[in-house]
This record gives sequence, C-alpha cells and structure tokens, in this order.
Amino acid sequence: MELQGRVAVITGGTRGIGRAIAEGFLADGASVVINGRSAEKGAQALNEMNGGDRVHFVQGDVKSREGCQAIIDAAIAKYGKIDIMVNNAGGATGHAPVIDLEDWAMEDSLKWNFWSTFWCTQMVLRDMVPRGWGRIINVSSLEGKHGKPGVSIYVTAKHAINGFTKSCAQEIGTTGVTINCICPGAIETDIMRDEGPAAAASMGLTYQGLLDWFASEAAIKRLNTCDEVAAVASLLASEAGAGITGSMISVDGGTAAY
Amino acid sequence: MGKLDGKVAAITGSTRSIGRAIAEAYLREGAQVVINGRSAEKGATAMKEMGGGPNLAFFAGDARNQKDCEGIVDFAIEKFGKLDIMVLNSGGVENTAPVAMMTDEEWMLEVTWNLHSVFWGMRKALQHMIPREAGRIIVTSSVEGKLGKPGIPGYAATKHAVLGLMKSAAREVGTLNITVNAILPGIIETDIVRDTGPSSAIAMGVAGYDELIAMFCAESAIKRPNKVEEVAAVAVLLARDVAAGITGTSFPVDGGTMPY
Repeated sequence: MELQGRVAVITGGTRGIGRAIAEGFLADGASVVINGRSAEKGAQALNEMNGGDRVHFVQGDVKSREGCQAIIDAAIAKYGKIDIMVNNAGGATGHAPVIDLEDWAMEDSLKWNFWSTFWCTQMVLRDMVPRGWGRIINVSSLEGKHGKPGVSIYVTAKHAINGFTKSCAQEIGTTGVTINCICPGAIETDIMRDEGPAAAASMGLTYQGLLDWFASEAAIKRLNTCDEVAAVASLLASEAGAGITGSMISVDGGTAAY
Repeated sequence: MGKLDGKVAAITGSTRSIGRAIAEAYLREGAQVVINGRSAEKGATAMKEMGGGPNLAFFAGDARNQKDCEGIVDFAIEKFGKLDIMVLNSGGVENTAPVAMMTDEEWMLEVTWNLHSVFWGMRKALQHMIPREAGRIIVTSSVEGKLGKPGIPGYAATKHAVLGLMKSAAREVGTLNITVNAILPGIIETDIVRDTGPSSAIAMGVAGYDELIAMFCAESAIKRPNKVEEVAAVAVLLARDVAAGITGTSFPVDGGTMPY
C-alpha cells in the first residue's frame, strides 16, 4: 500500500479525471477528500466509492480564495494534514475566437483553472513545507503545451498553470515537496460532454468533429481515459516520485510535440 | 497480484545501476525478466543477488554489437515464449571530448552504443510485437537528450537522436497497442558514471568527479542526484496495461532540471 497513511485532496473529485485519481489513491491506501460544487453528486460519489472513513466529501467552489480555503480547512479538520494536493477542478465556458471574446469568459476560466491552482497550492505549501513532505499535482492539459483555435480562454489558463508549476518547483525543490503537471489529451468526461459542444462551435465544428480532431492528432487515434491519468498521478504521489518535479507529463497518446 | 503479472521483459545493460533497478522492480511486479550485460561474471553476480529463480535469465552480450542486441530478443522469446516489454537501456561514453578534439573512434563508439543499439533492439522487438499487437518499448535517454553540455557532444547528440527515433516509432505503431516512450533521467551516481565521470569531467572543463556531480545537482530544483529507484518506478508505470494511452513521451526523472 504505497500511500498508506497519506491524506490527499482532489478538487473536482466527484467525477471524471478527479474521481479516477481519488479511486487510485484510495486503492493505494490513502485517505481522500473529494470536492465538488454539487452536494448531490458528492453524495453519489461517496456512495459509489464505498471507502468508508477514508473518503470525505467537501462541497465548495474553487473559483474564489475563500472557496479554496474552506476545502483545505475542511480536509485538515477531518484528517489533520494534507500530503497530496491534486488541483484538478477546471473547465471553461463562454468560448469564442479572440476577436469576439468577452472579458467575463477569460476571467472565469482563469479563476476556475489557474487561480484555483495558485490558491490551493499556496495554502497547502504552508502545511507541507514545515513537515518536509508533499506532492502537488496539477491537472493541466495537452492544451497547456499546444493551442487550438477558439478555446484561448482554456489554452491560456492551462499554459499559465504549467509556468506556475515550473517556477514553484524551483522554489521548493529542496523541501521534500514536489509539484508537477499532468497534461492529458482529450478525454470524454462529463465536463467534456457539458462544455465540449460550445467549444466545438467556437471552432466551427460539431462536438463529434471536435473529438475526432483530437483523436486524429494522437498516435493512438483514440481519446485518452481517466485511468491512464490516474496511474500517473499515483506514481507522482508515491515515494519514488521524490525525484520528479517541475515536469509536464503528457498522457496524450503521442500528441504533444514535447 | 503484481502490476506486470504474466509479462516478459528484456532489458539491455541491466546487471547494474538503472537497468538492474528496472529489472528488480519488474520482478517484484510479477514479470519474467531477461537481464543483459557484456560480462558473464557480472551477470552471474546479478543473477545471484537478485534471486529471481525461474523468472530471471541472463543473456551475455554487448549492446554495441548488432547480433547481440537482436539476440536478446530471440533469447527472451526462446526462454519465456514471448516479449512484452523491451527496455533499451544500455549506453554510455568511454573517452568523451569537446568536438574539436573528439576522435572518430570515440564518436563511432558513442553513436553505436547509444543510438544504433536502440535502433537494432527496437526494430527486432517491433518485428515480434507488431503481429501480436501488444508491446511496450522504453528507451533510456537523458536530460542531455534535451539539453547539451560542453565536452559531451556525442552523448548529447545520440540522446537527442533516440528521442526522434522514439517519437517516429510511436506514431508508426500507435494503433497497435504498442507504446514507445523514453525516460530522461538527471545525473545518477551509477557505476558507469563513477567509472567514466573523472575523464568526462576533464572533457567538460570541470575540476573532477565531485564537481561534475555538483554541476548537475546545481541545475536541478532538488539539488541532488536522482536515484535508480525513481527511474524504475516510471519504467514500471510505462510497462503497465493502464499506460496504453501514454506514447511518444519524453518522461523526465530529473528533479526539475529540464525547462520542457
């Protein structure tokens, strides 16, 4: 049990990638705090995951500092510490080509993806650094390395996460705390089904056309799966992950150029 | 229940150091493993120390020799019936020098050892894996596969080259359930680094072995060398069934050294 005794927090952990990571950590022996905006989805996740006292749900929205603080505080109140922070919550709404883009859409995407990562990272570092052990895993994207038309709000936020991660890694390199990004290719999660059609429209595509485009760019000619991302998260969270920091790990079936 | 139960792996250059750590991790995860090295004596020592019983075999051969490089694939299939995981790990330098002073002999040795051997082993493994539509190929590159330091032009060039080979092969077999990836470790104090480090330090213009290690550490965020176990953990992940969606990737294990 590689993560026995560890406490993990996963934002946006009731479904999709976050949920798969939470289940992976749970299987490896950790206690996990999952977060989401909907109490109903939280209750459903707790029921399905069946982790007993090792799973805890905290309702909350990461789009504000107060929202992030409440999640962190609740996790520490429940389990006494945070060893592994997975900044997974994210998405974007209000997609449009730059020439037509509205300010609120850019602001909302930055809050959802980037500011939330900054806030939670800063808060958990204050718990991790004095204890000399920690793992921060930021769920970025293939679009944190590349860029597609019509989705600049998402691409910009994910690139920002990658830069933030590299800089932070250099700051904390000798403290026993690592910080890395996972950059998944397209995965057909619930949030992709929710937000994908609007993103596709902003690119001048149908939803299926968008999925096909991502698959066609990959060497594997298919989308990725949540389990593939979760396996990398478990590695980064493990003891052996101590020597990996500031990295942008691609889980994209051979899409990214670097 | 191991993560690699039922799998057969072959690892070039694996009686010691990184290759050995990967072999040990694979054994622990339930795989049958062929280790390889030039020295029968070191092979026998490794076999004894690793205690892998019937799940472990040694193939004596030099990765710089095409017949030996291909022979390990045939040996694994003969011994264990198939090959699921090929780790192309063998590599190094002998008497590196700045470009202006590099001998043809050293250049050819490095290209053969670090690039040709990877190509020979990869081609032979793919010829077995493609009809079976299953396989994992893992190449040991280096931080110098993306960077480049003075005094190690052959090493940097060949470790870059294998990344191009890896990316191209990954796209060729992407839909066949065969992945091709590279691991890029930072400096690790392996036996081979201890053997060749002092002469490499001179070529690189640093005072000695300790200063060479210190130079690599200073470039990392963690300010220490990496460990073979850190590389082995990634090699296990990439070999697993669940890693089917990870291919064409340059996986860093460098403590935050490379900028991309």
